[in-house]
Amino acid sequence: MRQALKQYNFDWMLWRTYEAGSRLLSGTKREYDIALRYIPYFRDPVKEVFKAKAGQLFLQMTATYLDNIVNAHHRGKKTCMTTFCFSPAILYALDIVPVTLELLTVMMTFLYKRGTGEFLDYCNEAGFTETSCSSQRGSMGALLADIGTPIDMVVTDSPGVCDTNANAFAFFAAYKDIPFFQLNMPPWLVEERVTQYHVQDYKALIAFLEEHSGKRLDNDRLREILRELQKQDELINELEQYLCYKPLPLPVTTCLFIYAGRFMFAGMPIYTRLLEMLVNEGRENVKLHQQGIYTSKEKSRGFFCYIDHYTHSLRLWQMLEELNIGYSGNILSHFWDDSNPPVVHNNWKEAAYSIKTQTLEDMLTSIAAINSRMPMIKSIRGPYDSPYMWLQDTLALASMYKSDFIVYNGTPGCRNTWGMVKLLAQDTEKAGFPTHIMYADAFDDRVQSWDATRDRFEEFLRIRRLI
Amino acid sequence: MFEEFYTIAQSINNEYIVKAKEHGALCIGYTCSYFPEEILHALGIIPYRVKGLNVSSLSVADAAFGPFICSHPKCLLQHFADGDYSFLDGIIVTPGCDSMRRIDECIRKTAVNFNLPVVPPFFFHYTVPHKITEYSVKWLVDELQRFIDSVTKHFSLLFSYEKLKESIAFYNRMRKRLEELNALRMHYPARIAGADAFAVFVAGLSMPRDRFYSMLESLLSKYNGADFENRRRLMLIGSANDDIDFIKTIESQTAVVVADTLCYGPRLDIDYVDEEDEPLHALALRYLNHSHCPRMYGGYKQRLEKVVGAIHKAQVEGVVLQNIRFCDLHGAENGLLERDLEKMGIPCLRLEREYGPMADYERMRMRIDAFIERLDVRRIVNTRS
Repeated sequence: MRQALKQYNFDWMLWRTYEAGSRLLSGTKREYDIALRYIPYFRDPVKEVFKAKAGQLFLQMTATYLDNIVNAHHRGKKTCMTTFCFSPAILYALDIVPVTLELLTVMMTFLYKRGTGEFLDYCNEAGFTETSCSSQRGSMGALLADIGTPIDMVVTDSPGVCDTNANAFAFFAAYKDIPFFQLNMPPWLVEERVTQYHVQDYKALIAFLEEHSGKRLDNDRLREILRELQKQDELINELEQYLCYKPLPLPVTTCLFIYAGRFMFAGMPIYTRLLEMLVNEGRENVKLHQQGIYTSKEKSRGFFCYIDHYTHSLRLWQMLEELNIGYSGNILSHFWDDSNPPVVHNNWKEAAYSIKTQTLEDMLTSIAAINSRMPMIKSIRGPYDSPYMWLQDTLALASMYKSDFIVYNGTPGCRNTWGMVKLLAQDTEKAGFPTHIMYADAFDDRVQSWDATRDRFEEFLRIRRLI
Repeated sequence: MFEEFYTIAQSINNEYIVKAKEHGALCIGYTCSYFPEEILHALGIIPYRVKGLNVSSLSVADAAFGPFICSHPKCLLQHFADGDYSFLDGIIVTPGCDSMRRIDECIRKTAVNFNLPVVPPFFFHYTVPHKITEYSVKWLVDELQRFIDSVTKHFSLLFSYEKLKESIAFYNRMRKRLEELNALRMHYPARIAGADAFAVFVAGLSMPRDRFYSMLESLLSKYNGADFENRRRLMLIGSANDDIDFIKTIESQTAVVVADTLCYGPRLDIDYVDEEDEPLHALALRYLNHSHCPRMYGGYKQRLEKVVGAIHKAQVEGVVLQNIRFCDLHGAENGLLERDLEKMGIPCLRLEREYGPMADYERMRMRIDAFIERLDVRRIVNTRS
């Protein structure tokens, strides 16, 4: 790794940059325009984010997340490395600071033209495989090289769901010799035996977190967080209804805000505020839409059945806008509470979670269920064509959003989805959805340049007469 | 002396299975060493560890699996698609790793999409936790019971705990014999080639076990041993391997593989099942605790300890850490092992390879030769000092 990269901690750099970005709209319009001139690499992502009314708050939230990480130890808190598909709510309940690798990777790829290339490569220098998923490697490389806030413990919940993911966390813990905990996920969802396993595993997790943080779980704090989560679920469910409208009454980045916010601050008031802003924007636009005033040039609508493409400047979202493609949601933006629209519409209550806060046992059962329904954890734990798994979820959501086509985008490191995506695509095609498989790496443009990715995507849209 | 073992190990079907099936025996394949064969044996079913050998095309496998998948499960799928596993009455798929787990859908969907009769009549997705706790052991006990219920119902068989106990005792006896065989290659100097020993291990996973046991006993009683005194003593670690040619490539005329942690081999310890314990609980404990696989996340330190123990016991001079491309579990663990073993002064060679026909034979040969040279130099330096 270049010495230059080691001059400042990468998380500190990110924090300062997002912090500055979140203040850009605080001045006058003229000041803002002038500021953009001085940030040639950052202005595109900033402009894209600010297209949503909640954009500034989203950047503030991101800066706060990074502030928490960078200053955790100064504030006497422990840090826990974890994954996007692990709900951080329990960490907040125990006053532990989550350090979510995939989020840090994306925060960096959005901003820096070079992406996380050198950190990805550093993982290989440390002995990790180059074929592993770039979503973890991007920021893990920096932490392996000790240019980030030291990690006190590692928790992952992907064993049984995504081995490549789990393996990255196990590798880091072994490399740095720090405490490690894994939640296991059986390959199906709806069975008493599975529920019991989830709860027992979750109780063991809490014992682990208590041991390594030196804190005891405060029931009232957990209750408060779960109630906040309930509120957030209600807001997401309202948003879901707006996202089904055609033309789309919300910016194409809405779905990104929903899931990124949840991954950062599940159960925390700052995320509730973000959702409230999105909901307000949706309500206003829907009202205008009903009055025939709201206009949008949406030509076609896509459903991303896995993840988005996160390289520099939010180019995926820019492209969707340029092509007038509506984008309502993907598999990451669904958390499957019992009043979530697809759950209600399809009567899938048995596969959903509900939040109960009366007793500690209620709360633990609820939070274990929430965690076991996190994106990816729910949908790809078992065979893709089993009940409540990837195919069923994809078809239900694509239909609900009135999507015209489906896109798979992931990383070459995603052994799990690449093991079945061709089969999935055959089934979604049979169900009437033109389906495009992107061969790009969502976090690393070196695998396939964005230009090539975009060309192929546009070719698909043209050939299938979607634009 | 080893010819018959080689014949069985290096082919998919064999005369013993053909004959047994002619007499009405059932044969069920499985994909992962975490499945306890004892249960099938107790039901009179031949357990068969599916292999990916001798595939000449991946036409169907490439169409079903994506491009970023380990070639081992791809070869297995191709065999199913080619009808090579039509002698199997069932298949047990285990989420050993992501690639292997997805063979479930790939087999089933290949049957539909290509209209091929590739799905064995009995199909079971067997779930093994990734850690050892009281509740994960309980999960596995329940899973074994679920399997017994399912297989007995499907084939209208009667299951008895007495028979299972007998099978457990039989397998323990067989493990004792395998331990004796393993001791021959760990002996200094090695008394058996690593490839020969491996042929026996792999054959033991591919034929009726009672017959294998008698063949093994006969081998051990008659075998006089060979001399491998001047060869470098290697340990082989990493991805699943059922390919004896790969071992031969490593050994050539200059080395001998005296220990391994490979999935089709005996791994490091030939653990026994507790015959005093309740049978399913004993099996669950043994299989969760035994297997030397990085799928058991967070267990690196224990595995390292076992590897170091084996290195000392077998007087290993160098370690070959190999992984099939896209096998991240072994690939990453090999990175840790390389760091830690080299720190201890144990030379390591990391190899990434493809499974199957020896496409990169010369490349591997060259790297292994260079590694052997390194070991030679080390031996000379050690002798002088």
